[in-house]
Amino acid sequence: MDQRIFARYKASELKNDLQGFDVKKSKNSALKRKNALKKIIANLTLGNYNEMVHMFPDIINYWKIEDDMEVREICHEYIRCLGPLKPKSAKEALPLILKDLNSKNEKLQLQALNTLISVPTSEFYNEVFQFTSDAINRKSQSSNVTKTAIFSLIQLDDIEHNQIFPFLERLLDILDNPNSRPAVQAACLKTLYTIHEKNNDMQFLCLKSNIVFNILSILSKLNEWDTVYALEHLPISAVPQTHSEALKMIEMTLPQLQHVNSSVALNAMKFIAYLLNYVDHINESIVHKCSNSVISLLDKPPELQFLVLRNVILLLLSREDSLLHIDVAYFFIDYHDPIYIKDTKLECLYLLANKDNLPIILNELSQYATDIDTQMSRKTIRAIGNLAVKLGDDSVDDSVDILLNLLEFGVDYVVEEIISVFRNILRKYPERFTDVIPNLIHYSNSVQEAESKNAMIWIITRYYNLLPNYLDNFSVFSSKIKDESLDVQFSILNSSVKFFVRSPSKETEKICIGILTICTEEINNADLRSRAFMYWRLLSMVQNDNSVSNETVKEIVDGELPLIELDTKLDSQILEELELDIGSISSIYLKPVSQIFRLNKSKYLPKSPALNASRRQLEVIEDSSSTYNHERFTPNRSFSDINRDSSSSPVRQSSVQNYNSPAETVNHLRGKMKLSSRSPSKLSRNPSKLIRRLSVRTGLGKNK
Amino acid sequence: MVSSISFCDSKGKQLLSRKYRDDIPLTAIDNFATLLMKLEEESSVVPPCLTHNGIHYLFIQHNDLYIVALTTSLSTNASQVFTFLHKLVEVMSEYLKDVEEESIRDNFVIIYELLDEMMDYGIPQITETKMLKQYITQKSFKLVKAAKKKRNAARPPQALTNSVSWRPEGIKYKKNEAFLDIVESINMLMTQQGQVLRSEIIGEVKVRSRLSGMPDLKLGINDKGIFSKYLESTSSNSNSNDDNSNEVNSSKSSTPQPSTGQDEGSSRKTSNVELEDLKFHQCVRLSKFENEKIITFIPPDGNFELMSYRLTTPIKPLIWCDVNIHVHSKSRVEIHCRAKAQIKKKSIANNVEILIPVPDDADTPSFRYSHGSIKWVPEKNAILWKIRSFAGGKEYSMAAQLGLPSIDDNEKPKLKRPVQIKFQIPYFTTSGIQVRYLKVNEPKLQYKSYPWVRYITQSGDDYTIRLNG
Repeated sequence: MDQRIFARYKASELKNDLQGFDVKKSKNSALKRKNALKKIIANLTLGNYNEMVHMFPDIINYWKIEDDMEVREICHEYIRCLGPLKPKSAKEALPLILKDLNSKNEKLQLQALNTLISVPTSEFYNEVFQFTSDAINRKSQSSNVTKTAIFSLIQLDDIEHNQIFPFLERLLDILDNPNSRPAVQAACLKTLYTIHEKNNDMQFLCLKSNIVFNILSILSKLNEWDTVYALEHLPISAVPQTHSEALKMIEMTLPQLQHVNSSVALNAMKFIAYLLNYVDHINESIVHKCSNSVISLLDKPPELQFLVLRNVILLLLSREDSLLHIDVAYFFIDYHDPIYIKDTKLECLYLLANKDNLPIILNELSQYATDIDTQMSRKTIRAIGNLAVKLGDDSVDDSVDILLNLLEFGVDYVVEEIISVFRNILRKYPERFTDVIPNLIHYSNSVQEAESKNAMIWIITRYYNLLPNYLDNFSVFSSKIKDESLDVQFSILNSSVKFFVRSPSKETEKICIGILTICTEEINNADLRSRAFMYWRLLSMVQNDNSVSNETVKEIVDGELPLIELDTKLDSQILEELELDIGSISSIYLKPVSQIFRLNKSKYLPKSPALNASRRQLEVIEDSSSTYNHERFTPNRSFSDINRDSSSSPVRQSSVQNYNSPAETVNHLRGKMKLSSRSPSKLSRNPSKLIRRLSVRTGLGKNK
Repeated sequence: MVSSISFCDSKGKQLLSRKYRDDIPLTAIDNFATLLMKLEEESSVVPPCLTHNGIHYLFIQHNDLYIVALTTSLSTNASQVFTFLHKLVEVMSEYLKDVEEESIRDNFVIIYELLDEMMDYGIPQITETKMLKQYITQKSFKLVKAAKKKRNAARPPQALTNSVSWRPEGIKYKKNEAFLDIVESINMLMTQQGQVLRSEIIGEVKVRSRLSGMPDLKLGINDKGIFSKYLESTSSNSNSNDDNSNEVNSSKSSTPQPSTGQDEGSSRKTSNVELEDLKFHQCVRLSKFENEKIITFIPPDGNFELMSYRLTTPIKPLIWCDVNIHVHSKSRVEIHCRAKAQIKKKSIANNVEILIPVPDDADTPSFRYSHGSIKWVPEKNAILWKIRSFAGGKEYSMAAQLGLPSIDDNEKPKLKRPVQIKFQIPYFTTSGIQVRYLKVNEPKLQYKSYPWVRYITQSGDDYTIRLNG
């Protein structure tokens, strides 16, 4: 090799290299020519199209005379690259391509087929159609070529949608015919499914039961990747009509859970989860097998482990623990886990927590809370706090004990996180932890972040009567209002007005007027200013014309807050769609496809007499068939703010924490996923209601 | 379906890529590096799946490489993509030995060829190295020659399309042998007080097959589910089976196998173990196993993993360490460790390695110990105690002392890292699994064959003792 292959060349230079091929057929010149041809391809990858276009005649030349496989491959690659740009010249090569297509060499046939599809002219496409329709039924054709021909229909569908229809019938026939080759059948299934899915004028593919059973019976004869997409496309297209049919399908799928290829196992899981919508009960052994399969998938490389964990979250959200009985210990975090795994395991632990395993989980969490990674530690504290709110009266004491212990740890970010989390706990149990308040206030000076500042201000304001010099505590924040971020400024404004309305005195008045002045005159934010003006006018209405009583203002400014609940669940329809996408990218984000791409059809469970009304009404029967397990899985658990744990940046606001901030309606698909939440509306005050109340009461109280 | 696969260096910059579909711009992969960087700055959590401008980047890491698959659809089967990427690395490491930046640059031709062969239009195709090696070699082969050669040898499709896609026909060995390795890895998470938080046994049955033709193998092990069925079937037709059943030979290094004749009867049942969650190589007939509990298969040639299993029965730590660490802030750290081999007296644990973490800024180590060797491994911030052979029931102890700098930031030195233990115990399986028989039957050739079996128990990736920081 005298020259580098990957360098830009002029067409004339390469032509030079190719000269003199027909004079002597010595090995040396053959090598040289091949090298020159390689340079052409290299230049194409470098984007040197303008020069390489001129090589067209030479390529055709060599194609005709060279028998070398590598040369042929290069020729095909050349057409694939330049054909789309120069369809007219590509036509010259058509006979050559067809010759390769009809040759007996499988590799050449595949090359030719790929080349034909890549050139966008109808002549080329017609050849593909022609070849495919011949190949489909010809048994002598190698099944690899047949498979590729069938897959090419997916590509052709984008361009010549109308010509596809006659093929669909024939593909269905192949599926129906038990004598067809398994690999070809799998390819048919994938093609049919994909074409049905992507065209909006078509329904989802729906297969007859005998076809489904046929596919299930050939699974063991397929290679691993064929098995993957056979299983992947069975959900939705296989619609069991009776419970027993569905059970039979589950039974036939179960062995695939033991496949060594994780993708097969996970897709088998997906199909089983889908079929569970069509049965009235399942044996415990199925649950056992599914859980075991998941556990062993957790031993795979981290990326797969991550995917599996995300899907465990999904299954836990949609079915609680009815499908998976996995010991919490499997979700314990290992020191060497990558952080994204730690993160996801934490979410699993949070979801799995119930009254029985809480002590174990809290014990684990308290270990993680002092993790070296700051974010991990923050998220753990979040999780502990959320567990306190989620699990109710019995567990809250334990969680709070742990938090208080951690508080003594004294590191800044830990303290900040605990303060933020405590606000939620106090919103849920307003009177239970009053003795802790002074201890919390003690850390006023060490909170730096907006969120924990907000929390601290709220705590001071709410429990002012427990704090002898609450105004001093408050002034830590109010004195620096100009330097604060916007939401902290809002909190300070609200609190200062609250203090004044509660106990109008010289001091509170001074603080309140001071803050109002700063907000209206010095800080340049329209929202803050108008809120400040609103308060100011309200207060002056009381003082000047007495049209509003002090009590009314109090009610407006300082009303009783509702107790918070973590009550948001994922919409059941979304869960349904997500469950049909187990193992896909959307399962990582926990966002159904239709929510992001509105044009896509959203998947749904096809109707059938066997379809269950509710996913949660699945009975798990013990193997001994003594049905004592009548536990219905009532939807009383809630997962509203898991997004807390998952949000990658600590600043991100969530539903419960700040009723002042506008409700978050849009979820971003960025970095990490958030679950859609509906609760904010419940917590944010509805301004229109307040106004109405104001107008009704105006004439009443005439105090002051 | 995957739109393209790229190999990127440790910064995320593209080394080479192969495009499979036309739905993404060529420049999409160039954003990968910036995306990675941004995420790393923003937070420490970098999940193996990123999204930017409607393109999803699914990637795995291997040595100093990122292997990235790009796709546009949210419904792309991520499990398939990840599995495929790992498989790709596995195959490439058979071709290139070490898959890393340098070897990628040096071998781009063959990598392109592999990428073409293993995936088509974004759909995974063949990923068995044995099959790929048949027609992807370093040299290109000529069409003319191919036509002259024997017809079935030159054409790859034959093997690819018949139902045994993992084994070509016409393999010949002079001596027909099959080697079985049963390796059990113990994963265990313990607290410093000796409480076992989690324990599991992960077993693998590895086979090295050197057998001619298309042999059909039948494996018998003492699993409850498998074995009870076996008893029923053999009791009826045990005589007819005898002629072609080969009793398992114990290789020199393995414990003597109970011969099948002796333990027929009730004593067998008691020694049966129940394996959870068996996973099989694709060559095992899963439906046959499901229905009749018999493991039958036509093995690929050479080395492969026949099956894996998992057991979660609580087990006593095989090697237990009682570690005590006292950190005297600003002066020194003292470590006392007592290791005990809680295994049968006859067994011996080999190559025991105990890795005990020490503070990052520790120095001047001094050790006292009775057995093995100890050294300080500054790059891991730990001390490593090695014991070549550790007989069952023995107990050894060591003490170490390291200095700490007298200037100290306020933070208390934390030791959150766990103690890691590595060991190997030959001739022993924790689960008690045993191979009863391995029958080899090649219908056409009918040769005599020699199965060998070997057992070993070792520490898994995660045999650790947590320290209460």
